[in-house]
Amino acid sequence: MSEYNVINSRAPRLDAPGKATGRAKYVDDMSLPGMLYGAILQSPLAHARILNIDTSRARSLPGVKAVVTAKEAGLVKYGVSPARYDETLYCHEKVRYVGDELAAVAAVDLETAMDALSLIQVDYEELPAVFTVEQAMAEGAPLLHDDYPRNISAEVHQEFGDVEAGFKQSDLIKTTTFVNKRQDAAFLEPHGCLAEFDLFGQLTLHTSTQVPHYVMRTVAMVLGIPVGQVRVVKPYVGGGFGPKCEATPLEMSACLLAKVTGKPVKMNYSREQVFLHSRARHQFIHTITTGVKKDGTLMALTNECHLEGGAYTSFGIATVYYSGSLLGGPYKLPNMKYDGYRVFTNRPACGAQRGHGGVAARAAWEQQLDMIAVDLGLDPVELRLRNIMSTGDVTCNVLDMSSLGMKECVEAVRDGSDWNAKRGKMTKGKGVGIACGFFVSGAGYPIYRSETFHSTVVIKLSEDGGTAQLLTGSAEIGQGSDTTMAMIAAEALGIKLSDVRVTSGDTDLAVDLGAYSSRQTLMTGHATKEAAEDVKRQVIEVLAQELSIPPVDIDFKNGLVVFKNGNVDFSKVRTSYIQEHRGWTDPPSGDLTFKEAARMAFLAKGTIVGTGKYKPGRLGGKYKGAAVGTSPAYGCSAQVVEVTVDMETGKVIIDRMTDAHDCGLAVNITSVEGQMEGSLSMGMGEALFEEVKFDGKGKILNANLGEYKIPTALDMPNVKTIIVESNEPNGPFGAKEVGEGAIMPTIPAILNAVYDATGVWIHELPLTPERVYRAIQQAKK
Amino acid sequence: MLLPKFDYHEPATLGEACQVMGDLGQKTKALAGGTDLIVNMKKKILSPACLVYLGRIKEMKKIDSSNGLFKIGAGLTAAEVAEMEEIKNNYSALSRGASCLGSPLIRNLATIAGNLVSARPAADFPPPLMAYGARVVLKSSSGERVVSLDDFFKGPGQTLIAPEEILTEIVLDKLRPFSGAGYIKLGTRQTLEISLVNVAAFVSLDGPDGVIKTARIVLGAVGPVPLRAPSGEKALIGEKPSEALLAKAGEAAAFDSKPIDDYRGSAEYRRAMVDVLTRRALNEAINAARSNLN
Amino acid sequence: MKRLIKLRVNDKDYELAVEPNQTLVDVLRYTLGLTGTKKGCEVGDCGSCTVIMDGKPVNSCLVLAVQANGRVIRTIEGVEADTGLHPLQVSFVDKGAVQCGFCTPGMVLSAQSLLERNPKPNEAEIRTAISGNLCRCTGYQKIVEAIHDCSEKMTR
Ligand code: FES
Ligand code: FES
Repeated sequence: MSEYNVINSRAPRLDAPGKATGRAKYVDDMSLPGMLYGAILQSPLAHARILNIDTSRARSLPGVKAVVTAKEAGLVKYGVSPARYDETLYCHEKVRYVGDELAAVAAVDLETAMDALSLIQVDYEELPAVFTVEQAMAEGAPLLHDDYPRNISAEVHQEFGDVEAGFKQSDLIKTTTFVNKRQDAAFLEPHGCLAEFDLFGQLTLHTSTQVPHYVMRTVAMVLGIPVGQVRVVKPYVGGGFGPKCEATPLEMSACLLAKVTGKPVKMNYSREQVFLHSRARHQFIHTITTGVKKDGTLMALTNECHLEGGAYTSFGIATVYYSGSLLGGPYKLPNMKYDGYRVFTNRPACGAQRGHGGVAARAAWEQQLDMIAVDLGLDPVELRLRNIMSTGDVTCNVLDMSSLGMKECVEAVRDGSDWNAKRGKMTKGKGVGIACGFFVSGAGYPIYRSETFHSTVVIKLSEDGGTAQLLTGSAEIGQGSDTTMAMIAAEALGIKLSDVRVTSGDTDLAVDLGAYSSRQTLMTGHATKEAAEDVKRQVIEVLAQELSIPPVDIDFKNGLVVFKNGNVDFSKVRTSYIQEHRGWTDPPSGDLTFKEAARMAFLAKGTIVGTGKYKPGRLGGKYKGAAVGTSPAYGCSAQVVEVTVDMETGKVIIDRMTDAHDCGLAVNITSVEGQMEGSLSMGMGEALFEEVKFDGKGKILNANLGEYKIPTALDMPNVKTIIVESNEPNGPFGAKEVGEGAIMPTIPAILNAVYDATGVWIHELPLTPERVYRAIQQAKK
Repeated sequence: MLLPKFDYHEPATLGEACQVMGDLGQKTKALAGGTDLIVNMKKKILSPACLVYLGRIKEMKKIDSSNGLFKIGAGLTAAEVAEMEEIKNNYSALSRGASCLGSPLIRNLATIAGNLVSARPAADFPPPLMAYGARVVLKSSSGERVVSLDDFFKGPGQTLIAPEEILTEIVLDKLRPFSGAGYIKLGTRQTLEISLVNVAAFVSLDGPDGVIKTARIVLGAVGPVPLRAPSGEKALIGEKPSEALLAKAGEAAAFDSKPIDDYRGSAEYRRAMVDVLTRRALNEAINAARSNLN
Repeated sequence: MKRLIKLRVNDKDYELAVEPNQTLVDVLRYTLGLTGTKKGCEVGDCGSCTVIMDGKPVNSCLVLAVQANGRVIRTIEGVEADTGLHPLQVSFVDKGAVQCGFCTPGMVLSAQSLLERNPKPNEAEIRTAISGNLCRCTGYQKIVEAIHDCSEKMTR
C-alpha cells in the first residue's frame, strides 16, 4: 500500500474525457468573429540571393488584407539561444533552405490567401548550396552565414580526466563510427495559431506550443512590444516532442498580420510545412573510441561528433553539448574527451527532439559496449553491471546522480525478459539485445541567461472552500502534466483529486518555462507543492485560531481535517458554517471537512491564495558549457528488445520489449507507463523506419506521413513496463523524469538484438530491410 | 489543403456516366474512391476541370459468376473485395492483395477501378489480378471493349483507357481444380505501405502431385508497370514443384525484372527481393493449387 | 457553383450548400462546428479525420462533401450518449489510452466500428482495425488494452 492518498496511483487523467469525446479544443478548433486567414510564402530554392520581391499583384487581389515582408517586419534577429540569434522573421538578403520564409499574407479566407501567395513575384540569383557535413566544411564551400567560417554554427571541445593515460591502461580499444538520420517528430497535430490584438493594443496568441513562455518573449522581441502586453495561451496540443519548443515564423506572422490588419488572424502549417519547419532531430555522425580493461572496466572514451544542423542554429548549441555530456553516465567512466561540431547546411534547421542530443550518442556507445562485451567474452549485462553507477555517484563531467536505480533497472529487464535463457541461445534470425540510458529531469538553467524562477504556481481556494484552483503556465502537451500537478496539489493539500481544478498553459497565470527537457514533474511539481503547502498553512492557521489549538495539531487528509492529538470540539466551526450556508445542499456531518475550514479561512482573510516557486540551486562544474546536461535529478532506463530478422529480405520485426525505468516516485503510474511505451515506440520508429529524405536540390522527398514512416499499431509490440522507484531527494515527493530517458536505450537495444539474431553489426540507421539485407550479404562475403 | 475548383457530376447509371464522360472529354476524370485522385489534386499534381463521381452506380458494385466466368464490379472497394467469401475461398491471392492495400480506412474508400486506373507501379491489385489472368471491361457511349490486364498498363499513371471510357468490371476465369495463386508484399512497415516489391504467382498442376501445367508470375514495383516474368514462368512449365525449381524460377524472375533506383530502395535490392518473393509466392500458389479440389 | 446536399450527422439532418471542392472534414469542422474530427495530414495517411460513413470508418479528408450527399455520418460527437460517455470512451479514459488526444477521436471511431462488426476481437484484429490511425504518443498498447477492456465489458 502506498503511504500516499492521491499520488502514486492510477488516477485517470483529467483531460481524457474531453479528449475522448472530441470536446477538447485544439487551436484549429477555435475561431473568432471577423477572423482572417494567413499563409506564408516559402522559398523553392535551397540557397539564393533575393534580388527583388514584388507584392503588388498580391496586394491588389480582392480579399487580401495585408502582405508583409522583411520590409514591414523589420530585421530583428531572434533564435533560441541569445548567443546565436541568427534568424529574422522573413528573409531579406538571401534564402538558405527550401522552405525559408519570405512573406506572409492575410486574407478573408484561406483560398484567397493561397492565391495571393502565388501572385508574389520573387527574383532570385541561385547560389551554390551545401547539403552534407562534408560539403559544408570543405575548403572554399559557400557559407550560409558570413560570420561562421567553415559553416560551423557551434563547436565544443572538452576533456575530463586524462584520456591518453586511460587508453594506455586499457587492454582493449575499440573505435566505431555511427550515423543516424534526420528525424521528424511527427506529432499528429500540425502547428497552428490564432492571434488577436484588443483595442488597447494588447496581444493574445493562442498557439500549439510546448513553451508559451519562450514564445511570449520572442514574439515581444520581434514585434517590438513589451512582454507584459503579450499573452500566450496554449489550448490542448496534439503532441510536441521538441520541435514545438521555440517560437515559429507562423506564430510571429500571425501576430504581425493581426497587428497590421487589426483583425484576428488564424494560421496553420500544412503537414508538408511541418516537415519544412522541422526543428527536429539532427543527423549525428559519431566516431567513438572506448578503452577497457580485460575485466570490462571502462577506462576512457573519446567521442567526436558532427551534427548536420540545417540553415539556422535553433537549439543547436545545446544539442552539440548534449551529444557529448550525456555519455558521462550511467557507467563509471574516469576519462572522457569530446569534440563536437554543429554544421550549417542548406536544409531545414534541426532542433530538439525527445532525448535531445543524446539519442544517437547513446546508440553509438551502447552498441560499441556490446561489441566490446563480445570481444571480451562477457555477457553484455555483466559488462554493464560491472561499470554501473549508483546513487550518489558523480560523473567525470560533474553530473550528480542524486538518485539512480540503474542497477535495479538492468536486473529487472534481465529477469523480466528471460535474458539468460535467450541471449545467444535463439535460432538464427532471432535475437535479444540490451541497452541503458539516462536523461535530465529538467535542464538546470533556462535557455536565456537569467536568475528567473523556472516555475511559479498559484493556488487559489474558491470562496466556498470546496475547490482548489491551480493556475500554472506549464504546458500540457499530452504528457499529462495537468493531471500530475493536480495530483501533487491534492496530495500536498490533503484534499481529493476531484477538488482540484487546473488552468494551465497561459502566460498570464504564472511563469513556467514549459514542456521540454522533461522538466514539468520535477520543477513545476515543486512549485505546485510549495503553493499547496502555502495554502494549507494559511487554512490551518485560521482553523487553529478558531479552535484554539496549536496549528501543528491540525492536518488534512482526503478532504477531511485530522486532529493529531485526538478529538477536538469543532461544533462552533460547524455551526457557523451551516449558518453561513443556509439552503446549500451540503450540510456537513461527521468529521470536520477541509471545505469548512477553507470557508472559515476565506471569511477571516479573504480569498486564500498560495504561491510556489522553483529554481534549481547551482549545478554542475565550472568548465565552459558545464550547464548543459546539468539537472537536479536524472531518470534512467534499461531495456531488452527481442527481434526476428527475415534473413532473406532483411526485414526486422520487434517481437517483445521489456523496459525498466527509474522515475523516482511515480506520481501517476499509468502516465509513467504511457511515457515509457510512447518513448519506445518513437525509438523503434527511429531505429527501423524514420528518415527525412532529400533530393539533390535540398527538397524533401517524403514530407508526409505516408512516406515518412512512423510505427503503426501493427509494428509496435506490447512493452513489459517495469517501474523502478528510487527516492529522488531533489524531486517533489521523490519524483523525477520519465518522458525522455526511456527513449535512450531503445535504438541500441534493437541494434544489439539484430546482432544477436544475425551476427552482423550495423552502424547506420534506420535498419530498413535493404540496409539489413546488405549487411547480411556483406558478412557472407 | 485546398482542392482546386472543378465541376462535379454524379451519374446514377452506367449509361448516364458514359454519356457524361463522352460529352466532357479530355479534362474530365472519373472519381471512384478518391484515395489517389483527391490526394493528387490536393498536391496540385492534377487539376481536372471536371469530376464524374462513379460511386452511386449500382451496376459497378455487382459480382456475377455464370458461364464459367467470375465478374467483379470495378466499383467494389478493397475492403469489400477482401471480405467477400467467394473471393476469399476461390481467389485467395486477390483477397490478400485487397487486404494489403493502404489501411482499413483507405480500404473502405479505394476501389478496384481506381487502383487499376491510377496505375501505380507498386499497386496491390494488379499483380494478383494479372496472375489470375484478369481482363477488364472498358465502357463508353460508343460500346465496350475487353482488354487483358497484361496489356492495360502503359507506364506509371498511364493505361490504355481512353478519356471517355470507364473501367466497369473485372473478368476472371473460374479456377480449375489444382490451380491457385499467392501474393506477397514487402514493405518497410507492416501496413500503410507502398510496396518495395510485390509478387503474385499462379500455377495450375495436372494433379495433386503432378507437374506444373501453366504458371504466371507478376512482379510489382520493379518496372514502369506490373511485369510478367516470362523466363521465370517458362522455367516452371512441365516440372514438378521442388525447392530447387522454385529457386530457379525466382532467379529467372529476378532476371526478368527491370527495377530502378529510387529513394525507397535500390534496383539491386529490388531485384534480389524479386527472387525471394517469387519463391515465396510460388510456394503459396502451389499449396493453394494442391488444396483446390473444386 | 454551390450544390445543395443532405447529410445525416449524428442522427441529425442537415441541408447545406457546398462547393464541389469542399471536403467532408472541412464541412464537418468549419460549417457544422463539429471540431472533434481532426486533421493531421489531409491526405489519408494518419486517420485523425476518421468518421463513420454509411457504417464504415473512412478518412473524411479524402471524401468530398458532395460525395457524402444522402449518407449517414457518425463523428466523435455522436459517440457520447445522452447518459454520458460511451463505454468505449470510459475504457479509453480508465486505461490511459489518451495522451495528447489528437488521434483519440479517430481511434475511438475505428474501435467502435470494429466492436460493432466483431464484439470479441482478438489482439491482432484490434491492431489491424486501428492500423490506419497513427498515434505518436502512446505506442498503441493502452489503446489496444482499452478496446479489449470495452469488449470484455460489453460482452460479459
Ligand atoms: S487528416 Fe485525413 S487521414 Fe490524416
Ligand atoms: S495520443 Fe497523441 S497521437 Fe495518439
